[in-house]
Amino acid sequence: MAGWRGSRSGGGGGGEVSPTRTVRLGKVQPQAPGHRTVFCNDRDANALAKYKGNSVSTTKYDVFTFLPKGLFEQFRRVANLYFLMISILSCTPVSPVSPITNVLPLTLVLLVSLVKEAWEDWKRFQNDMSINNSTIEVLQDQKWVFIPWKKLQVGDIVKVKQDGFFPADILFLASTNPDGVCYIETANLDGETNLKIRKAFEKTWDYVTPEKASEFKGEVQCEQPNNSLYTFTGNLIINKQTLPLSPNQLLLRGCSLRNTEYIVGAVIFTGHETKVMMNSMKIPSKRSTLEKKLDKLILTLFTVLFCMCLLGAIGSGIFIDHKYYYLHFDRTEKQFDPDNKFVVAVLTFFTLITLYSPIIPISLYVSVEMIKFIQSTQFINNDLHMYHAESNTPASARTSNLNEELGQVEYIFSDKTGTLTRNLMEFFKCSIGGEVKKPPSAAREKGFNFDDARLMRGGWRNEPNPESCKEFFRCLAICHTVLPEGEESPEKIRYQAASPDESALVVAAKNFGFFFYKRSPTTIHVRESHVEKMGKVQDVPYEILNVLEFNSTRKRQSVVCRYPDGRLVLYCKGADTVIYERLADGDNDLKRISREHLEQFGASGLRTLCLAYRDLSPDLYDSWNEKYIQAKSSLRDREKKLDEVAELIEKELILIGCTAIEDKLQEGVPACIETLSRAGIKIWVLTGDKMETAINIAYACKLINNSMKQFIISSETDAIRDIEDRGDQVELARFMKETVKNDLKRYNEEAQQYLHSVSRPKLALVIDGKCLMYALDPSLRVMLLNLSLNCSAVVCCRVSPLQKAQVTSLVKKGANRITLSIGDGANDVSMIQAAHVGVGISGQEGMQAVMASDFSIAQFRFLTELLLVHGRWSYHRICKVVTYFFYKNLTFTLTQFWFTFQTGFSGQRFYDDWFQSLYNVIFTALPVIIIGLFDKDVNAHLSKKYPELYKEGIRNSFFKWRVVATWAFFAIFQSLVLYYFIVASSSRAVNSSGKMFGLWDVSTMGFTCVVVTVNLRLLMMCNTITRWHHISVGGSILFWFIFVFIYSGVVLPKDQENIYFVIYVLMSTVYFYLTLLLVPVAALFCDFVYLGLQRWFFPYDYQIVQEIHRYEDDSSRIGLLEIGNNDLTPDEARSYAIMQLPGQKSKHTGFAFDSPGYESFFASQAGVFAPHKAWDVARRASMRSRPKISQRKN
Amino acid sequence: MEMDDGGGGAASSTTAGNEANSVSLRHGRSKVMYQFTQQNLPACKPVLSPAWVISIFFAVGVIFIPVGIVSLHASQSVVEIVYRYDSECVPGPLRSNKLAYIKNSSIPKNCTKFFKIPKHMKAPINIYYQLDNYYQNHRRYVKSRNDKQLLHGLEYHDIGSCMPEDVNHGHPVVPCGLIAWSLFNDTYSFFRGIDELKVNRKNIAWKSDRDHKFGKQVFPFNFQNGTLIGGAHLDPNIPLSDQEDLIVWMRTSAFPTFRKLYGRIEEDLVADDIITVKLLNNYNTYSFSGTKKLVLSTSSWLGGRNNFLGMAYISIGSSLIFIAFVFMLLHIKNPRPYGDTTNLSWNWKPMSS
Repeated sequence: MAGWRGSRSGGGGGGEVSPTRTVRLGKVQPQAPGHRTVFCNDRDANALAKYKGNSVSTTKYDVFTFLPKGLFEQFRRVANLYFLMISILSCTPVSPVSPITNVLPLTLVLLVSLVKEAWEDWKRFQNDMSINNSTIEVLQDQKWVFIPWKKLQVGDIVKVKQDGFFPADILFLASTNPDGVCYIETANLDGETNLKIRKAFEKTWDYVTPEKASEFKGEVQCEQPNNSLYTFTGNLIINKQTLPLSPNQLLLRGCSLRNTEYIVGAVIFTGHETKVMMNSMKIPSKRSTLEKKLDKLILTLFTVLFCMCLLGAIGSGIFIDHKYYYLHFDRTEKQFDPDNKFVVAVLTFFTLITLYSPIIPISLYVSVEMIKFIQSTQFINNDLHMYHAESNTPASARTSNLNEELGQVEYIFSDKTGTLTRNLMEFFKCSIGGEVKKPPSAAREKGFNFDDARLMRGGWRNEPNPESCKEFFRCLAICHTVLPEGEESPEKIRYQAASPDESALVVAAKNFGFFFYKRSPTTIHVRESHVEKMGKVQDVPYEILNVLEFNSTRKRQSVVCRYPDGRLVLYCKGADTVIYERLADGDNDLKRISREHLEQFGASGLRTLCLAYRDLSPDLYDSWNEKYIQAKSSLRDREKKLDEVAELIEKELILIGCTAIEDKLQEGVPACIETLSRAGIKIWVLTGDKMETAINIAYACKLINNSMKQFIISSETDAIRDIEDRGDQVELARFMKETVKNDLKRYNEEAQQYLHSVSRPKLALVIDGKCLMYALDPSLRVMLLNLSLNCSAVVCCRVSPLQKAQVTSLVKKGANRITLSIGDGANDVSMIQAAHVGVGISGQEGMQAVMASDFSIAQFRFLTELLLVHGRWSYHRICKVVTYFFYKNLTFTLTQFWFTFQTGFSGQRFYDDWFQSLYNVIFTALPVIIIGLFDKDVNAHLSKKYPELYKEGIRNSFFKWRVVATWAFFAIFQSLVLYYFIVASSSRAVNSSGKMFGLWDVSTMGFTCVVVTVNLRLLMMCNTITRWHHISVGGSILFWFIFVFIYSGVVLPKDQENIYFVIYVLMSTVYFYLTLLLVPVAALFCDFVYLGLQRWFFPYDYQIVQEIHRYEDDSSRIGLLEIGNNDLTPDEARSYAIMQLPGQKSKHTGFAFDSPGYESFFASQAGVFAPHKAWDVARRASMRSRPKISQRKN
Repeated sequence: MEMDDGGGGAASSTTAGNEANSVSLRHGRSKVMYQFTQQNLPACKPVLSPAWVISIFFAVGVIFIPVGIVSLHASQSVVEIVYRYDSECVPGPLRSNKLAYIKNSSIPKNCTKFFKIPKHMKAPINIYYQLDNYYQNHRRYVKSRNDKQLLHGLEYHDIGSCMPEDVNHGHPVVPCGLIAWSLFNDTYSFFRGIDELKVNRKNIAWKSDRDHKFGKQVFPFNFQNGTLIGGAHLDPNIPLSDQEDLIVWMRTSAFPTFRKLYGRIEEDLVADDIITVKLLNNYNTYSFSGTKKLVLSTSSWLGGRNNFLGMAYISIGSSLIFIAFVFMLLHIKNPRPYGDTTNLSWNWKPMSS
């Protein structure tokens, strides 16, 4: 936080960093001391400073660093490092195998990984190139000249056209708009889609044309490049005048220009020194639980390896003896010196390690990685069932590490607004002057779902209180911070609002005939129809004198405006509680009725706001305004002072009425939640909303129903309020803690009773943020956890982003269950990062959540598909892949191990070097990848029809130690069968002329049997067998034969004579064929019996579902899409084609962020105010000079 | 694994940049791609139903038993005589110290034994020697040879792998290495009555070995010339490719008990014939208490006498059929409701889920 305190324009001054913060999301870099001086429009002068160029590179490597850096990355993996050590060991005389045995697989694995890295880096490089080579107009010799971005230098004067991107951080000088403002969209930066205003200094407004601009000679002194997006300090010196610069004049790279023909600016920071680039940091990568368990398995294998080697080493010590004269044991070789058995044993230990090294499946990690990569890029990203056609958004896996984690999720933490609900607010009802106007009808327009003849089409004028109606509508049309965009006609205008509620209200005003169509920093233009009589339209400019911003403590927003006739009014809208406190006395009936209405609205899950106004006298206003300006210009505690000043004028309000906005549920949410809960997933809703709203939404989306027993822990009790009123914080804390503790204790007991009762009702817990704060206290945490784990639904309302994260990690760490967080807004970022799996909704609130997430989907309902289909399959597949890898390597190595016993523990290899080295990477590599991609236990339709199947993943049924042990048992059994059957069948003459097999004949036969056996075993574990299974399994076996035909048919320069002609010798005997038929069958016989018995007596759920739907056609997506003869319907073809089209992406998606700038989020966490609503800055800046003018008018 | 640019890039780069392409989706590649990405490839779903289990067991069993019977029959038709001679060929007084006997070159190693032919033996009758507890597969032993030298002789100098039997008196040994050095040197001759039975010692090694692994121009050199003699001497005038004893010996065996072909008797031996074997018991297996056996064996189309394959086929086949019957009985007596929803875990234990 040092950077924040240090920066001069930090705004609110340094706040304390709460010591209890557990979730750190990033950090602000400490600023380098000093400043930079930029001479505008003077390349020579800037040349001295040697600023960095504007070309950016987001690549990890370059041509020279690729190999060392890439290799270093690879060897940070334990498995690779292990194999490197084994490879080194196999170059020593200790090794029984030639180095090729271990070097080759390692090389192949590294090669695959490096190629992947290189490919990804190449894509990044191309992305960089396309960005670096896009053109921008720069002032050269009084003309605008196009040059590529990368040629841009600090100090250049550039021209950016409408909808263009800013190529660097630019000092805003002039725009085509008359008042020197421009509008920018920062979606790439912070995900906010509303437009922001930037304003140039009046002194520089003129430099619009090239002729004029070339005269511009300014000197900019500013801070060193840093990564704080919302601060900027510096001075612009022109004509010996110093103008202080603020973020308001800075146009950041990554943003784009809107609603402005073009702007002219001077480049200040370029390339990697731009704020957006300084911000790009890495998301800490998550690893899946299964992978962590896999590490344990690998560790176990190491132990097994150690034991095997130890056993062999001891054996070798015992075996070695002078009596085997033909072995000529003597002192020349340490390893064969019978007089020093200890050394013999130690060296043999190393020998055996190299020999048994294949027990650690080297290609496991790379194969699993490859499988997951394809799963995420090809399956998840391309799934039409998760493709939202309306917004043209496919699902996207932003990491491929967590695919199988999706199949084991037990707890879902969901944000409400924008996730469960659409974040599309519709004006639904209102109460004006004590009368409810409401009847809803079909939605006419986004944000407006209202058709009441009494109000529409001027009907309000006939109502008993037309004046209050008029005030109501004016309040809606004036008191807001919405920006209009597009044409100034009611049909075509679009509103840019910070919150969708606001735009819903403005749209409502428009429909009532108060059309807000234009905003300048000081005025709001409203086209009022029916002011005096029907059919007449009048454009009324309201001068906006002050805007008192909305924030979470104030819970209200006010605007002071001056009517054209000079009337001064303060319009205020806000939460009922805060407005009622500030109402003038009198008219209690209205207040009472309105309150009733408010409660009604609230109970039906609507979001309410109270509207009020106050007429101001000029004197009163002037005296207040002075205080306001003072507060505004204060350097310390500005926000606090502003709030205090606002209190002075926001009182004695007159209630106009209240509005009710409906927060619509997302499509399919209730069904999705129901399905998920049938799948054994528990859903927690974490929201910042009021308890009533939250409970209401929970009902609406079937999370809670009346048959459930609800436990409510709320801070809104009378007892707590009393203490709150007394204002003793210590007492309050003590009391709250006590209350929460008692509640928890009581509920826990009740929960136990319910759990043991016959009817076993489902339980639900509702808790609010304040109580949660105490419940999360270490002493109560366990109780909270116990209670909540027994509940099938939990609703936490009024929670802060930090609490969301805390709750998530409570379950993640405390209960050790797999958690998933889903959210769409910046306030969900912490939660998304805290959970095992973070899912972002790529929807309304911008990209921040998506940027921090592991998967992004367009709609909440796609979660069914993501978890129940992709997650479940992925889990099944990865489990199969991992256990199969384990099995095949164990089987292979054990045959080698049994052989060791018959070679006097000498460590003689059973298989040829090449056989051993290619076993993992060629002969058994492809089928397992195929199974990792294609295996489906039941099809997608059934996965969703029987959500309960998902529970197998939650229970981790397929990667338990028991499963592994079963595989291990069969691996041991098979290796014994393989080895001893081979021994027994090859001890006698093998052809009619009585010739015998030698070592290499036997081993080649054994290897053939092993390859065939493990490949067949793979087929046995498949649930579906596609053409690719046949090709890969058949191909692997075939490839082995082709390989051995060639390998043993030619003489290689290296020592390969062992194998020379072996396969032909083998194939000339009937023995070979008989053995080849016998051994795999004998080895797999027990597996087959096991599979039959398991299915018969202890079937898995999926197996029963398979049986039920056995005779159904397996065009898996039957439920939704009709696939006749596997041909595509036109619909499918179209949506598939749309998805395949290169998306309309902005230029910056490639590099923009690995993660967004979180500054504003942390800053508020740490108590530091960041003016992240940039237009707020714009308005304040423009208002500094404005009051004077208005006074003069007066 | 980082996926900075997500999958969108990968997806967008695959196909169809324009309308024309997207229309032609019905064409093969796109269809396959569609089926692939939508995970909808045509597939068969093998469900291991009782009927399948039983019929697979039954079918495999039915195939296996006849194969087993045929191979067992072939194996049984082979007449095999195994005769252990290592201790019997040591003269009685010396049996307490066999090692001294075998090491003392002054004691004649001749040994004459008789045995009776139990059954008619059809020519060719293979003669094997069988060694036991002899680790021809020991790592030190296996690598102590040089295939290049065996093929190219003295031209090939790099014979380090033959340690410790690579050089003798400053000259390289051909054939070098422990394997060659320890060449088996017992010899056998057979008599029926007083007629010596002709033993054909040609074509006892695999042809590929003779033709490609042992040089036709390579002659033994400096062999068994050291302080310690391991085994047989070689005639320095015969090229290695014709020294079939050596070739057989050098195809090292896989296990510590092994047989190696010595030669063939190309006459039928009639039942109750008395055969006299005159053997030279030269080879030292006494120091490591190994055994030596002489084996006479006819051969079938399958090879030597090896009941294992036949027995294995029969026993596995019959156990498969047995299990098939057990399953069938189970199926009839107590059939598992097939695809019964009551078996679903969430249906049979609603309390705990």
